[in-house]
Amino acid sequence: MAGLELLSDQGYRVDGRRAGELRKIQARMGVFAQADGSAYIEQGNTKALAVVYGPHEIRGSRARALPDRALVNCQYSSATFSTGERKRRPHGDRKSCEMGLQLRQTFEAAILTQLHPRSQIDIYVQVLQADGGTYAACVNAATLAVMDAGIPMRDFVCACSAGFVDGTALADLSHVEEAAGGPQLALALLPASGQIALLEMDARLHEDHLEPVLEAAARAARDVHTLLDRVVRQHVREASVLLGD
Amino acid sequence: MRAGGKMAAGFKTVEPLEYYRRFLKENCRPDGRELGEFRTTTVNIGSISTADGSALVKLGNTTVICGIKAEFAAPPTDAPDKGYIVPNVDLPPLCSSRFRSGPPGEEAQVASQFIADVIENSQIIQKEDLCISQGKLAWVLYCDLICLDYDGNILDASTFALLAALKNVQLPEVNINEETALAEVNLKKKTHLNIRNYPVATSFAIFDDSTLLIVDPTGEEEHLATGGSGLTGAKLQDCMSRAVTRHKEVKKLMDEVIQSMKPK
Repeated sequence: MAGLELLSDQGYRVDGRRAGELRKIQARMGVFAQADGSAYIEQGNTKALAVVYGPHEIRGSRARALPDRALVNCQYSSATFSTGERKRRPHGDRKSCEMGLQLRQTFEAAILTQLHPRSQIDIYVQVLQADGGTYAACVNAATLAVMDAGIPMRDFVCACSAGFVDGTALADLSHVEEAAGGPQLALALLPASGQIALLEMDARLHEDHLEPVLEAAARAARDVHTLLDRVVRQHVREASVLLGD
Repeated sequence: MRAGGKMAAGFKTVEPLEYYRRFLKENCRPDGRELGEFRTTTVNIGSISTADGSALVKLGNTTVICGIKAEFAAPPTDAPDKGYIVPNVDLPPLCSSRFRSGPPGEEAQVASQFIADVIENSQIIQKEDLCISQGKLAWVLYCDLICLDYDGNILDASTFALLAALKNVQLPEVNINEETALAEVNLKKKTHLNIRNYPVATSFAIFDDSTLLIVDPTGEEEHLATGGSGLTGAKLQDCMSRAVTRHKEVKKLMDEVIQSMKPK
């Protein structure tokens, strides 16, 4: 969009953040009664919730059961009212299927699936309002939901998006920044080991610039980890107070 | 009958209906409610800013969110001065393990039809209010209701969510430019919809040959309800008077919430 400065001379972005700054994150665990695990997260204006059912018996064909580990089934759904223009198909379209597949790959890397052979773990993610960074919000919400369900994981999975504007790497892009058309990268990180669960980018970026963008995303993902860790501890503290008394 | 915690849980698993009947005999339910009592109802209006109107309703554990998007469309040829309201209820697999992913199941379709009938019969809004230019341009309101947590009584929660979301909708002013015949939208001037009637739903579950009616069934109660052979006129009157009381409760709650949202 002509005339819209994504990064001002003083180093401020459209919404007043600094280049490497995250949006405000608020998260809650255990929000739904029916599910085994659930979580709700708000990253700026992006609102996503994740619901986990499992581990349970394989639905549908028994033949799909894996003899040595659990099957992880992820579904991504974006509400029709979540974007500025109404979305015609909330799920089942190509983009949702691709997101579902990426989520599955991310969580297969983190969940200790060998502990639940021949069973299925369902992770459903619903985006209620999309303002950029939907993949990251979904991964963060799903991590909390899987923890709420008590399914053992190798580590937290923390995700963040990053872009590159005017020679500077920006972390946690909002919708305006994503729509501007620059390169964007989505990173899902296992913070303790520093291992990357998923890295996705489909844009042209000079290889010299990859390092700073990746670094910005990783740093932001670690900040997300600090926050999610606090949320989990708070939740456990509240739950133990309820049980103890 | 006094039962230890473990015995009661075992009894509940083996004979759920009998376990439930013990409570009904004392005129109450396992969650402590009376037969005519609703679960705690909360409503959160206008939380989704990408939607033109939104509301989140919680009826106990049952959670339904309604988002309304307004778009342009050509009015129907047989009614050139009317707009459209298109409701859709989605019961995704995330709200309960009983639902599978795929095309809308029977329950979702029935709920969508129910909401469409409620809109049509109660005349919540006059479709004429949605017309911008006769025969050329009208508003179409897509009302999408998503159940996030299914614990029974989806219809009451959905109707309330729809009503609250419609109350929240603000449509911008649209003028048709005579020279270019294009619509000019003025986003700075927005007006609320004119809500003419307030339909509020009250659901009952019937036990044991219509001798017992309970209001606002949970998921478990819906499953256990035995149904009856028919309702007497007197029972129907009871239901209707309970529904009237509920209407007052819901309208009061909604007005309170909207009042609290107004900038001071």
